[in-house]
Amino acid sequence: MPDRLKPGHDAHRGGWTRRSVLGALCATGLAGSRAIAATATTAPLRFGLTPVFLDSDTDLLAALERYLSVQLARPVVLVKRRSYQEITTLLLTGQLDAAWICGFPYVQFRSQLALVAVPVYRGQPLYQSYVIVHEGDPAAALGDLRGQVHAFSDPDSNSGFLVTRYLLATMKETPASFFRRSFFTYGHRNVVRAVASGLAQSGSVDGYVWDVMTEIEPDLVVRTRVLHRSKLLGFPPVACQAARLGTPLVRDLREALVGMPEDATGREMLRLLRLDGFAVSEPSLFDGIAAMYDHVRTQS
Amino acid sequence: MRWPTGPGAWPLTAKVPLLVAGLMATVGSAISYSVLTRLATDQEAQLRQLAAAHLGSLAVALEPHLARQDIWETFDVLDHARRVATFASARLLVVTLPDGSVVAASDPMEFPVGAPLPEDLRTRLHASGNLVVDADHDLAWSHRPIGTESAPLGHIFAELDMGPFMAVRREVLATLIAVNAGVTLLLAAIGYAVVRRLLRPLCVLNDYVERVRTGAVEPIPARFIAEEGGEFGRLFRRFNAMAQAVAEREALAARLADEEKLSLLGRLASGMAHEVNNPLGGMLTVVDTLKRHGSDDAVRQRSAALLERGLRGIGNVVRAALVAYKEPQGATAMAPEDLDDLRFLISHEAQRRRIDLVWQNRLEDSMAVDGAAVRQMALNLLLNACRASPPGATVTMTAEALDDGLRLTIQDEGPGIPAAMTVLLRSKAAAPLPRGGRGLGLWTVARLLDRVGGEVKASIGPQGGTTVTLSIPFVEGRRTYAAA
Repeated sequence: MPDRLKPGHDAHRGGWTRRSVLGALCATGLAGSRAIAATATTAPLRFGLTPVFLDSDTDLLAALERYLSVQLARPVVLVKRRSYQEITTLLLTGQLDAAWICGFPYVQFRSQLALVAVPVYRGQPLYQSYVIVHEGDPAAALGDLRGQVHAFSDPDSNSGFLVTRYLLATMKETPASFFRRSFFTYGHRNVVRAVASGLAQSGSVDGYVWDVMTEIEPDLVVRTRVLHRSKLLGFPPVACQAARLGTPLVRDLREALVGMPEDATGREMLRLLRLDGFAVSEPSLFDGIAAMYDHVRTQS
Repeated sequence: MRWPTGPGAWPLTAKVPLLVAGLMATVGSAISYSVLTRLATDQEAQLRQLAAAHLGSLAVALEPHLARQDIWETFDVLDHARRVATFASARLLVVTLPDGSVVAASDPMEFPVGAPLPEDLRTRLHASGNLVVDADHDLAWSHRPIGTESAPLGHIFAELDMGPFMAVRREVLATLIAVNAGVTLLLAAIGYAVVRRLLRPLCVLNDYVERVRTGAVEPIPARFIAEEGGEFGRLFRRFNAMAQAVAEREALAARLADEEKLSLLGRLASGMAHEVNNPLGGMLTVVDTLKRHGSDDAVRQRSAALLERGLRGIGNVVRAALVAYKEPQGATAMAPEDLDDLRFLISHEAQRRRIDLVWQNRLEDSMAVDGAAVRQMALNLLLNACRASPPGATVTMTAEALDDGLRLTIQDEGPGIPAAMTVLLRSKAAAPLPRGGRGLGLWTVARLLDRVGGEVKASIGPQGGTTVTLSIPFVEGRRTYAAA
């Protein structure tokens, strides 16, 4: 049993109650009871989510909430908004304790945000951005997409916007000048749907999300094809306000995330997420994204 | 069974079920047409309401997205609406801007973003009324503006699948046809069974009437009468009363025929007596001569020859009478000499009237005919011919063998047979009994002729004189009804 679940560990949060002891005893097997018991005494963890992963999977969200509430011995409120910007704003204004955001907002607000943990995917905390086209599209390179309709994920998404914008910038182009039309779908899965249905001829999508979707929604993904893979970039991290990095809550959250492979529910979570685990990482992991951001900014 | 060509001649057992089936088919068609017309009207009204509700809710959902020209959200709404497609929901949804360019469609491949709406659909967009039905392709189109009249945001256009409605119509039509056909067949079968049951007594009656026609008069058995009460029971009893009367008439006729034969014998008796008496006088003289000159061999020889001739003549007359009146009826063979015997029976009548009898018996072998009947018919006709001919006239009897029977022709030189007698001769057994004894001989001929299945022709020559020709078939070759 982790230290934070021992009676002595919990004592500093406001003392023992009969309910919290009962909740602690049930923690390993009866997560629900524990969460209900904790509601009465402990402030909830407000955890922000963005479509950096398949946030449409309700089973996954329920498992995440269950896992974190048990590990942190407190209720967990998962907060979702339509855009990255809304979650980033909530995080920056202290309305969220932590959030799973994209590397691009992290780079944009690096001075105000701190890394809690970074997912490890295929052995490293890195992923790629894909430019995808419809399966029958004859395009062979990015340049062939000129004049088409393009689907972006989110204006604050690294893989779903920044990478493609950076690639166009290297060609002295902008989305407006290069594409006939472009629009945001506010979700990587939506980008795949837009391209698969023919609404857009091409799209910018998170490579990790696209890979996972090939397993769970092969019928949809098979109608798309990867045209371009970016270099490896820092995986969307779990971040918090820089000021809160040392707080017990954030420390516990980091422990819970990093310790996920050691717990049965955590392992199930990781299996659903197709991740190896979470790791503590340095801000330099996102230098590649920062460099692209700088390039785009200077271009515009 | 060969059916008569005209429907008027069809049996009731066919006409009534056909009539029932025809009426049911007509009524069924009228009901089916009415039901399907009503169904189509109701379905269109229902589809109109469904389309209005469907597009109305979509328009509300789409309005904020269209105001921002948000391609993805517009598509997302359309895509979800299409995915949860229910009964008569849209199979294609297109949202356009007021200028007609496509914002998003549920099928973006066919209607790309930013492309103008195809002209054929654009015309439907402006068509009057909010529902256009194409029943041939199971499709309907509906559209609705989004936004307000003063600030239009665009249009939502839907292609609706009429397939389920059409399937219901086809199903209803199939059910109507099946039910109508079933009821029609059932009623036709019931009609057939009822009419058949109703007509069964008539069939029984028809059967027994047919037997009367072929000569077998039988009463309808009591079990049939017991089954039928009311009109048919009474009809059966009346038929039986009639059948009994006919049977009695038949018996009477048979007795009359016998009596006619005896009366003929009576008429012939005096002639026969004369035929016997003539040689008797000569024979007595010969006996007397023998008594006196019997010792003379030549006289004895001549007397014996005379006696023999006389006795042979008497013998011929007696044998002819015996053959005519003792031979049982129904004999199936007749020798040529059986016919020749008749000459002895009528020779006295012919001589008395000084008639020259020409006898042409061309038969060579025995023939398979009813000899007794043939002889009696020939005798009756010959006596009639002798009676009808004036003194000194000639009566000719000709008998010839044909391939299928015997032909007898009796020709006289009288004034010609009266028409009523010709009718009587041809009337077969159906003729009423002649009144007052006149024509009884010809009636007997007609009756016997019917028994043997023969035909008769009677004609009068230009100079007068009657020729009666009887054609008598062989017993094996009789017509079937006559043999029954």
